[in-house]
Amino acid sequence: MPLLEIRNLVVRYGEIEALRGVTIAVEQGQVVTLLGANGAGKSTTLRAISGLAKPASGDIMFDGHSIAGLGPEAIVRLGISHVPEGRRVFPGLTVKENIMLGASNRKVPASQISREADAMFDLFPDIRAFSNALGWTLSGGQLQMVAVARGLMAKPRLLLLDEPSLGLAPVIVQAVFRIISQIRKDTTVLLVEQNARMGLSVADHGFVLETGRIVLGGKPDELWGNEAIAAAYLGGHAKTHA
Amino acid sequence: MDLVLQLLFTGIGIGAVYALVALGFVLIFRATNVVNFAQGEFSMVAAYLMVVFSVDLGWPYWLSFLIALAGMALFGVIFNLGVYYPLRHRTYLPVIIATIGASILLSNSVLAIYGPQPQVLQGWFDTPGIQLGPVYLDSQYLLIIGVTILLVLFNFWFFEKTLLGKKLQATSQDKEMASLLGISVSTMIMITFIYSAVLGGLAGILVAPVLFVSIQMGSTIALKAFAATIIGGFGDVAGAIVGGLALGVIETFGAAYISVPYKDGFAFLVLIAFLVFRPQGIFGERVAEKA
Repeated sequence: MPLLEIRNLVVRYGEIEALRGVTIAVEQGQVVTLLGANGAGKSTTLRAISGLAKPASGDIMFDGHSIAGLGPEAIVRLGISHVPEGRRVFPGLTVKENIMLGASNRKVPASQISREADAMFDLFPDIRAFSNALGWTLSGGQLQMVAVARGLMAKPRLLLLDEPSLGLAPVIVQAVFRIISQIRKDTTVLLVEQNARMGLSVADHGFVLETGRIVLGGKPDELWGNEAIAAAYLGGHAKTHA
Repeated sequence: MDLVLQLLFTGIGIGAVYALVALGFVLIFRATNVVNFAQGEFSMVAAYLMVVFSVDLGWPYWLSFLIALAGMALFGVIFNLGVYYPLRHRTYLPVIIATIGASILLSNSVLAIYGPQPQVLQGWFDTPGIQLGPVYLDSQYLLIIGVTILLVLFNFWFFEKTLLGKKLQATSQDKEMASLLGISVSTMIMITFIYSAVLGGLAGILVAPVLFVSIQMGSTIALKAFAATIIGGFGDVAGAIVGGLALGVIETFGAAYISVPYKDGFAFLVLIAFLVFRPQGIFGERVAEKA
C-alpha cells in the first residue's frame, strides 16, 4: 500500500478547475517529483494534500485513511508537513523561533523543542549563525533552509516541498538538494519543481502535470529517455543533449 | 518645577489608561487585521460591571474586581464568537462594521439599564494619596501606573518568552502558515480577544474612579487610545504604550498651560501633526519591515 495515494482529485478555485482528475501514488521511503509548467496545478496538488485547498471530488488516502476535507491543523498532526511556495518564514520571529514552531503539531515540552531545534542546525549549518536573526533579515537561500528545517521539526512521515529552488542562485540550489538527499534517508518526500534537472536528480519517480492532469509518470530515466516529452515538459533537456 | 512634576505624574497616570486600551487595539489588529471599534466599550462594560457588584450589590471591592475581570474574559469569548468568528473569512470591511455595530449595541444596552446619568465608583484605596516632597501622588493614579507597569512586563514576558506567545505572533503574521504548522488559528484568535477584553476592562475599572462611569467613557478613551496607536506606530506593541503615555502627558500639560476646555483637542492636534509629518508613527519603521 502506498503511503500517499491520490485518486481522481479535482480542485476548483471558483469557476476555474485547477486539478481535473489527478491520480498519483507515493511509496514509503521514496522521493517523488511532480514536474510541470507554471499553472499546471503542482502547488494546488500540494495544497489539497495539506488541507489548504478543499477537493471538489476524488480522494486523498494517507496511510490507508482518507484525509480529503480535513483541515491543515489536523493533517499536519497525522504527519504530513508542507513547506509551501515562497518559504513563508515568519518575518517578525527569529530563525530559532521559526524552527521551534515547526513542532506545533506534536505535544512535547518547550525545553525539548528547543533542544531539537538546536540539533536541526547540524543538518543546516549555514543558518546556525543566524539563530537569533529575525526572519525578514534573511536571504532567499537562508529562508529556504529555515522553511525546510521548520517543516522537518514536525517529524513528518511525508514532507511536501514546493519549489525549493525557486529564485535561488545555482550554488544555493545545490546545497538545498544536498539536504533533500539527506532527508530522504528518514522521510518520504513529494517534491514540486520547475527545475526538472534538479527535481529528477533526487527522485525515485516522477510525474508530469499539464493543465491539471497527469500526462506522464515514470522513473527519472524513462522520463529523460522520452525525447519528445523531455523537450515539451522538462524544458532545456532536449536542447542540452540534442 | 513642582508643577511640572505634578503634571507629569498625572499625565503618565491617564496615559497609562490610554496605553492599556491601545495595547488591546494593537493585539486584535495584529491577530485579525481589523481595528476593533468596540474596544472602548470593553472598558465601559467593565466599569459598569464594577458598579453592579461593588456599588449596587455592595460586595467587597476586590471580589467585584475579580468578578468583573472574569466577566470580561467571558465577554471576550462572546465578542469573538458573535462579532468576529462568523465573518472571519470575509474582507476586513464587514468585520469593522460589525465592531461598530457591537459598540452601538453595547452602549445603548447599558443606557437602557442605567439611564444617561453617570455612576460613581470609589477608588481601590481609602487613602486619597500621599505627599512625596513637592508632588502629591493620588492613590488611584499610583495604582493605575503600578498595574500598567506590571502588565507591560507581563506582556513582554508572554509574547517574547513563551511558546504560546510565539504562536500568537506567528498567527498574527501569517495565519495560513501557522495552520500548516498545526497551530490552531481559531484558538489563538480566541486568546487574543480574551486578553484584549481583559486589558480594556482593567483600563476601564482603573480609570472609573478618576472619571465618571458613563456610557460615553468608552468612546472617549478609545478615541485617545486610537490616536495613541497612530502616534506610536500602528500595529506596534511598544508604540501603543509609548504613544499612550505621550498622549496622556501632552494633554495634561496642554490643559494646564494653554487651555482646559481644549484638553481633548491637544491629543488630536498631536495626532494630526503625526499624520502630516510622520504618518508611520514613532516606531513606524519596524512595522514597515514586518510587511
